[in-house]
Amino acid sequence: MMPNSLGRNLFIPLTLFLVIAFLIGPFLIIVAASFSAGDTLAFPPQGFSLRWIAKVFTVESFRASFGMSLFLAIGGTAAALVLGIPASYALSRYKLPGAEVIRTVVSAPIIVPGIIVGLALLRYIVVPFGVGISLALFLAHTALVLPYAVRVVSASLDNLRSDIEEAAVLLGSSRTGAFFRVVLPNIRGGILSAFILGFVTSFNQVPVSLFLSGPGVRTLPIDMIAYMEIVFDPSVAALSALLAFLSIGIVFAAERFLGFSRYV
Amino acid sequence: MFQNRAEALALALPAAIFAAAVFLVPVLILLSDGFRNPVVDGVGGGWTLSAFTDFFSSSLNQTVFLRTLRLGAIVTVVSAVIGYAAAFAIVSLDPVAKGRVTGLVVLPLMISPVARTYAWIVILGRTGIVNQAFQALGITQAPLRILFSETAIFIGLLQLFLPLMIISLISALENMPKDAIPAARVLGANWFQVFWKVVLPLTREGLVIGGTLVFTGSLTAYITPAILGGSKVLMLETLMYQQVAVSSNFVAASVIAFILIVMSFAANILLKRVATARNKVRAAA
Repeated sequence: MMPNSLGRNLFIPLTLFLVIAFLIGPFLIIVAASFSAGDTLAFPPQGFSLRWIAKVFTVESFRASFGMSLFLAIGGTAAALVLGIPASYALSRYKLPGAEVIRTVVSAPIIVPGIIVGLALLRYIVVPFGVGISLALFLAHTALVLPYAVRVVSASLDNLRSDIEEAAVLLGSSRTGAFFRVVLPNIRGGILSAFILGFVTSFNQVPVSLFLSGPGVRTLPIDMIAYMEIVFDPSVAALSALLAFLSIGIVFAAERFLGFSRYV
Repeated sequence: MFQNRAEALALALPAAIFAAAVFLVPVLILLSDGFRNPVVDGVGGGWTLSAFTDFFSSSLNQTVFLRTLRLGAIVTVVSAVIGYAAAFAIVSLDPVAKGRVTGLVVLPLMISPVARTYAWIVILGRTGIVNQAFQALGITQAPLRILFSETAIFIGLLQLFLPLMIISLISALENMPKDAIPAARVLGANWFQVFWKVVLPLTREGLVIGGTLVFTGSLTAYITPAILGGSKVLMLETLMYQQVAVSSNFVAASVIAFILIVMSFAANILLKRVATARNKVRAAA
């Protein structure tokens, strides 16, 4: 595709090197900086130590906000799937009046910037109804993950032939029985993929949670931003590196065992 | 297809009602706040555009509004230019290498945006890598102030959204007929003409998808301007946060929310138009 073989030989590796250095380089620097023995964030790191990685586990607020983020990512995604799986099933298998309206409403949280969703929840759910911050965060994260759940589960339902379950019903199974014994086992991969996508989305989410934080109730990314504004030591770098390896590990495992990318 | 309506509604409505109650209704009320006259001592109410004229009469707000549009546009254009080069290079690789390189391009999307943005502090700060290198090479004497500037936000946004553009363009280039470029070359087109008259029209849809993702992503990014722009170089999202957290000005926040949503939707519609208009021209010709 390139002008000549000389141009091609230079152009392709050089472009790829520069682009990947730009995309991955900063992350490698963060990883290197987190092994520093110095007191401030710097690159090249001053000496080698594991003290900042160890410190991450001793910071009380990180432990609390990690717990909160983990709860939101697991609980919010599970709730989104409980709502999303039946909705996806109805959208793909039934002649549903107003199907497009329902699809739009359910997918809408993905289009609207998170900061607006967070503020709207604070002003019109938390304040007037006296809902606690933790519950509000849970509702917000569920709404945020719902579009992903519906999209991924719908895709795997559309890939599954619907005459199999019709056959099960003809052979005497109830509709519910056919769903649990025929459909559900066949879309297991899609559901797990939706769960992982939802988990990563929720865990890394910042703008939605921005206004929904109170004393002692904070998500981890928000806590990290607050910490880095006050303390300039490498512990946020260490935490960032640990979290990055965690999410990369999860996604790689998912790709290997489930063929994650087929669904997303 | 099953016909039972009641059953279908029973399955689909919980999700729809949840999304409407937790998301749609509160957001619509929030947006409508920007058009309401505040009620003071039982006087006031009704609809007005005064909050919008107030917002745009402030020169700070104008600056932030224009900066947000400008950064969105520049990030989109630059990511398209780099994206084409990268996507060309990637689709010309053999299948195994292509899979690996695509994996490396997608990898950053799985890393927390906070971590990805934080890295630029180490690189662009007063004692960061760039300043160390510039001073060592004698390009500058004193450290440059790169952090907390529009340049820093631009770099952060580009790094955050470039993978989305590259992926969109890879699939567009792969769907292009294999013999289109050799055919144009045989007929005497130079490389500029090949790109402008053959590649660009044939990959326009991928470009539009990537462009929409990058542009709306840049407009509505919060973390990048918050960390790399600081409290002085604001974009609309960080301005909205300040209006609420510092000034408690909820009406201004509603106005900004409305502007952000209108800009995202307008970008979506406009770019879709561009894509379909071109297709019609091609179909007619």
